[in-house]
Amino acid sequence: MSSAIQKSKRPGRREAALDAFSAAWSDLGAGNDAATALRRAGFEAFTGTGLPTTRDEAWKYTSLRKLARHAFRPAGPAEAPSPKQVAAVSVDGLDAACIVFLNGRLEPGLSDLTNMDGIIARPMASYLDDHESSDAHPIGTVAAIGQHPFVALNQAFLRDGIVIRTVPGRAHDRSVYLLFLSVPGGEPVAAHPRVFVDATDGSQLTVVEHYVGFGNTANLTNAVTEISLGPAARVDHYRLQEETANTFHIGGLHAKLLRDAQLATHNVHLGGTLARLDIGIHLLDSGAETVMNGLYCVDGRRHVDNQTRVDHFAPHTLSNEVYRGIVGDHGRAVFNGKAIVHPDAQKIEAHQSNDNLLLSPEAEIDTKPELEIYADDVKCSHGATVGQLDADALFYLLSRGIAPDIAHDLLTFAFAEIVAKRMPLAAFRRRLERHLAGVLADDRLIQENLGAER
Amino acid sequence: MLSIQDLHARVDERPILNGLSLDVNPGEVHAIMGPNGSGKSTLANVLAGRDGYEVTSGSVTYVGKDLLDMAPEERAREGVFLAFQYPVEIPGVNNAYLLKAALNAVRTHRGEAELDAFEFLAVVKEKMGLMHMDESFLNRGVNEGFSGGEKKRNEILQMAVLEPRLAVLDETDSGLDIDALKVVAAGVNSLRSPDRAIILVTHYQRLLDYIEPDFVHVLSGGKIVRTGDKTLALELEERGYDWVQEAANA
Repeated sequence: MSSAIQKSKRPGRREAALDAFSAAWSDLGAGNDAATALRRAGFEAFTGTGLPTTRDEAWKYTSLRKLARHAFRPAGPAEAPSPKQVAAVSVDGLDAACIVFLNGRLEPGLSDLTNMDGIIARPMASYLDDHESSDAHPIGTVAAIGQHPFVALNQAFLRDGIVIRTVPGRAHDRSVYLLFLSVPGGEPVAAHPRVFVDATDGSQLTVVEHYVGFGNTANLTNAVTEISLGPAARVDHYRLQEETANTFHIGGLHAKLLRDAQLATHNVHLGGTLARLDIGIHLLDSGAETVMNGLYCVDGRRHVDNQTRVDHFAPHTLSNEVYRGIVGDHGRAVFNGKAIVHPDAQKIEAHQSNDNLLLSPEAEIDTKPELEIYADDVKCSHGATVGQLDADALFYLLSRGIAPDIAHDLLTFAFAEIVAKRMPLAAFRRRLERHLAGVLADDRLIQENLGAER
Repeated sequence: MLSIQDLHARVDERPILNGLSLDVNPGEVHAIMGPNGSGKSTLANVLAGRDGYEVTSGSVTYVGKDLLDMAPEERAREGVFLAFQYPVEIPGVNNAYLLKAALNAVRTHRGEAELDAFEFLAVVKEKMGLMHMDESFLNRGVNEGFSGGEKKRNEILQMAVLEPRLAVLDETDSGLDIDALKVVAAGVNSLRSPDRAIILVTHYQRLLDYIEPDFVHVLSGGKIVRTGDKTLALELEERGYDWVQEAANA
C-alpha cells in the first residue's frame, strides 16, 4: 500500500508536510478491516487535493505555506504531564468525566472512564476493531472527506480519539470533558484525534473540548468531531482552543440534527499561531435548532479563521449565530458564516452576526456573512461590523475617574462579554471571563459579579 | 472654586463659546440657561475634558489649578463630575463594577483607603434607596436597556456615590416626567452642601422649581448675556429667550 501525493498545487516547491504525511501513512500498515478502508478513502481524498491554497475559495484568506514547511511526524509515546500540571490547565469547577489525550492519544492514566452516568465511551481504536465493515458504524458519516481536505487527512490517520454514546431519553447532568494536550515530541508532531458523539433520542449531554499546549514546539493538531443528534436530542458543545503560540490548530466540527434536536456550539479561540475551525451543521428535519456562539482573541502575529456553515434542509428549522472577535497587534482574523436555505425549507429562521473589534492599525479582519436562500417564506438576517472602541463609552469611563488603560480593557472585556454571557456552562464562562478580564481580574468584584450565575 | 475667564472654544472649527466668564463659589448652585445652540452643552463638555472640544483662548481655574491642563480622569479624581445629557450604554460592564472602580479611583487619589466589596455595597445601597433604584440595577450593564428616566437617576446615583466638589448637570431634566424629575431633584438637593458647587445646565425653568438656584445665567451666542437670581428664570419662562437675546444685542 504505497501512494504518493499526486498533485502539488505548487509545482517545484517541496512541501515537507505532504512528504511527511505520505511517509507516515505508508508506515501505518493495512488490513481488511473497516478502519483500513476508512483510512484509505481518507488518504486518497487528501492526496487528490493536497493542502488547500489561497486559490481555493474556502482558504482565500488563510495561507498554509508556513504549515506546509513542517515535516510533522506521527505522534509517538510522549512524556505525560503530572496530574498537577494537568489540573493547572484544566477548566476549574466542571462537573465532568475528564478524558485526557496526549498528542491525540488517549492517556488512560490521566482519564476517568468509570463514572460516566451510563454513557458509553470507547477509545476510537478499539471501537473500530470491533467492526469489520464501515457500514456497521457511523464514523465518517457526518464529516465529509470530499469537502474538507483536513477531515480527509484526519480520516487517513484514523485511530485516536473517542466514541461517546448517550443513554436514550436521559439528561446527563455530568458533562464529558475532553482535554487534548499538545506536548513536545522532539520534532513537530501531528495529532489527528477523532471524536464521535452519538446523541441518542431524547438524550441531553454537554461536551467540552479543550485544546491546550505545553512547551513551544510547532505541533499540528488536526481534530475532527462528529455529532449525530437523534430526534429531540440536545447537545451543548463547548470548544476552547488554547494551543501554544507555535502550534498549528486545524479543527472540524460537523453535526447532523434530526427532528426537534438542538445543538449549541460555543467556539472560543485564544491560542495557536494558525488556527482554523470549520463548522458544518445539517438541520435535516423540522424542529431542529442550532445556536452558534464564537469568540476569538487574536494578538501578536497570530491568525485565526472560523468558517461556519449551516444547511437548512427542512422547514421549521432555526439557526442563530453570534460571533465576535478582538484583533490586536499584527493579528489577523477571518470569519465566513454561511447559511443555506434549501428549497422547501419554508418557515425557517436563520440569523447571524459577526462583530469585530480592531485594536491596532496593523490588525486585519476579513469577514463575510453569506446567505443563500432557495425558499421564499423564511426569516433571515445577517450582518458584520468591524470597529474600534466606542469613543463615547471611553470618555464616559474616563469622566468617572477610571484610568485610560483600565477603561480600554474594560470596554474590550465588555465587547467579548456579549458572547461569553451566551454560554450557559458557568465553569466554562468563568474561565473565559477570567482570561478576558486580564488586568481587571485582581479586582474581586468583577470576579464575584461576573462569575456568579446569571 | 471655579473661575472661567473669557473662554473661547470651538467644535469642528466652529466657534461655540465666545468669551464666557463665570465664577462659582463653594456651596453655590448656578443655573445656566439658554436656547438650543447657545453653547450650554459645550461648556459642560469643555469642563469635563471631552475630546473634540477645542479651547482656543481663555482660562479655567478649578481649586487653584489649571483645569484645562488636566486629563478627563484627573478632573474626575479632583472632584469634577459631569452628569451626561445622554448617558452612554455600556453592555457587558456592570454598574457595580463601574461604580466601585470609579469610587476607588477617587478615594485613592484623595489618599483614602479603597473600599472592599462589603463597604462598597453598604455605601451604594444607601444611595440607591435615595434614588428609588432597585438593587438589581447593580448587576445590569451600565445604562443597558434603561429608560430615559433610569439613566438620569443613575447619573445622580453616581454623583451621590462619588461625592464631587463640583457637579455639572447637563440637561439632567430633559426627558423626565414629573415624578422622575422630583426624584432626581431630591437626589441633587440632598447633595447640596457648603463645600460643594453645582452647575445646572438646562433649557427649561421647570427643574428650578425643584432645585432652587442661587444664580441664573443666560447664555446666548457663546457667552453669558445676563445674570440674575431665580426670578430671572421665571421671567425667561414668561417672555422667552428672544427677549434676552434682543436686550443683549441692543
